[in-house]
Amino acid sequence: MSVHHCGDFKQTYADDMKVMQTRFIQVCIGLFVILLYVFPYLGSNYHVSVMNKIGIAVIGAVGINIVTGFTGQISLGQGAFLGVGAFACSYFMREWNIPFWFAMPMAGLTTAAIGMVFGSPSLRLKGLYLAIATLAAQFILEYLFLHVDKVTGGSNGVMFPSPEIGSFAFDDDRSMYYLILTVAIIGVLFAVNLFRSKDGRAFVAVRDHYLSAEIMGIHLFRYRLLSFAISSFYVGVAGSLWGAYTQYITPEHFTIHESIHYLAMIIIGGLGSVLGAIFGAIFMTLLPFVLTGVTANLADYFPQAGYFIQSLREGIFGLIVILFLIFEPDGIAHRWRLIKAYWKLYPFSY
Amino acid sequence: MKHIRTLLGLVAAVALAGTSFAQEIVIGNLADITGGTGSVGKPYADGIRAYTDYINAQGGINGKQIKLLQIDYAYKIPEALNAYKKFKDSDKAVAIQGWGTGDTEALVAQVNRDEMPYYSASYSAHLTDPSKSKYNFFIAADYSTQARAGLTYLKNNWKESRKPKLALVYPDHPYGKAPIPAIKKFAEEIGFELVGEENVALNAIEATTQMLNLKKNEPDFAWLGGTTPSCAVAIKDARKLGLKTVFLVNIWGNDEDLPRLAGGAEEGTFGLQGAVTYGADVPGMKPILEVTKNQPQMTHFIRGWTSMLVMCEALKRADAAGKLNGRGIKEASETLRDFDTGGLTAPITFTPEDHRPTMSAVIVKYVGGKPVTQETVVLERKAEWLGL
Repeated sequence: MSVHHCGDFKQTYADDMKVMQTRFIQVCIGLFVILLYVFPYLGSNYHVSVMNKIGIAVIGAVGINIVTGFTGQISLGQGAFLGVGAFACSYFMREWNIPFWFAMPMAGLTTAAIGMVFGSPSLRLKGLYLAIATLAAQFILEYLFLHVDKVTGGSNGVMFPSPEIGSFAFDDDRSMYYLILTVAIIGVLFAVNLFRSKDGRAFVAVRDHYLSAEIMGIHLFRYRLLSFAISSFYVGVAGSLWGAYTQYITPEHFTIHESIHYLAMIIIGGLGSVLGAIFGAIFMTLLPFVLTGVTANLADYFPQAGYFIQSLREGIFGLIVILFLIFEPDGIAHRWRLIKAYWKLYPFSY
Repeated sequence: MKHIRTLLGLVAAVALAGTSFAQEIVIGNLADITGGTGSVGKPYADGIRAYTDYINAQGGINGKQIKLLQIDYAYKIPEALNAYKKFKDSDKAVAIQGWGTGDTEALVAQVNRDEMPYYSASYSAHLTDPSKSKYNFFIAADYSTQARAGLTYLKNNWKESRKPKLALVYPDHPYGKAPIPAIKKFAEEIGFELVGEENVALNAIEATTQMLNLKKNEPDFAWLGGTTPSCAVAIKDARKLGLKTVFLVNIWGNDEDLPRLAGGAEEGTFGLQGAVTYGADVPGMKPILEVTKNQPQMTHFIRGWTSMLVMCEALKRADAAGKLNGRGIKEASETLRDFDTGGLTAPITFTPEDHRPTMSAVIVKYVGGKPVTQETVVLERKAEWLGL
């Protein structure tokens, strides 16, 4: 029972490919998952609601990390893709009476299709140019959200029916928690394994050096589109869960702010790392809660300066993000790796 | 061991700090101070805070102090949902003073389920139908009723034989769109001719394109929805382009700031109001003058104050009935019949079947840089208008 082997004793490829290398790690992760599942019995309703937001953010951030972190395609349209997922899922449930369990993957596929359409400029565009093309996607979709009333309810938005199993409705924080957690775990597992597969490695090759990748026989356009599709599928599922969670969606939920928020998550967490996306999602979701809590309490104690303190919140948020980027440019995941390496080598420095 | 003791001490201190005392009533307030509607949101939130301090100084609700928790959600719906969860679960609030249309509507299903009385500053008509939104209340006539009152006034004062031409200008936004179907239907019923529809965003800094489009049809009147800054932009650009159209501005789009922002272009513009202006000669103004030390406040402040005043009346009645909880406060609110707010607003009535607080709206006209009250239009409480 050890954290790490103190050498390389693997004798088969299967051993070498294991996600969880030692029994100790398997036990730890098993316990952590069990802890997650019993969390609603330990935390208050409010804590559970915070966890729900983190869960949805994790799914979305892992999705965006696939296209931006792993494939190197900057995408600024993720906020709108969340909306596509949410509105599509709601539409399938309301108009076609499809249960949530089918509507959610269908909404994911719808978002994947839209993602591929807007990802197609990636054949010819890279970097900043692609970023602007996907930014256009954000604005085009926002316009459609406002004006395709039949699907989105226009600026008034639409109700989102609660997922149901028989007569049991997932309409409160605790029941939604289990749904979101389960989907998040499946999503994370899929992403981890994706990058152990041929397609995942092709994404990384496209990111690291697209010319070399092409010479190796990797079809650039195909893999870029595939990356957009998988990423958008994740985001569409996250959007569906967000809708199911809030039970009411309006175009106001899915603005450019949301796109930037998700981009910030993966930059702070660590580009090109599933764990980084998780860390980033936790950090960026918790930060506003913490700041709101602190500023609201401070405002109670200093009623005269209440508004001033509350207005500071946005500024502090920005400042923390900037400081993070200065002092931890490779993201939280990198720091995590350093901490692990430190303990592995302790008491030696290397 | 010492560290553990210190840690335990800290934990205990935090836990104690988090618990509210038994003699406290916790009210959550979702305010927009820094967001898209902050210009009118801040005075409204100030009014809520001021009345809370005032009632606490008077001994509170039957001896219980109110603890008001204000959160600036910057007019972002997800933030509003977070704040609401915090109020409900962590702070154990018994009622909420809310703000905008989008967030209030996004929370309708939840406040129904949580039995959480919700006094909003969104006056959307469909919040007045208890069959759909049992726990939503507000203290001014709903947007649709106000608009009908405004159109009635314009029509009654129309002297020409032809039909007056009406255009609609509003932000493409839940708040902006809320009364539009009602306006269209009612305007046609009473003999207006609809001649155009334009969108001016809440954060607009110019509206020339929209006003040029309006100019083609030369409307006699235009309904103008928005907040004061966006309405001032529309009015200024209309005058710049030589439009003769007379604007009828909704409740959040005209106030004491309008002349300052429109720079005189607002002369002759009509505005809808739901409360008196600062310094009006009504009994309810006396405590406001005291609390604000005669520093003039905007009409939004007075509506915030009144919203809290009416909620506190419901709290008193619920407490007296020994039911100081969500359902008790809702039921107590529904016992209000022509409740006098000291003349600050029209008398307030809520019944279990009808949450329209009043059917009257005040029409003001901007003359010489000041809003001058023209008339209070009182409409019939028609059942078919409920929720529309």
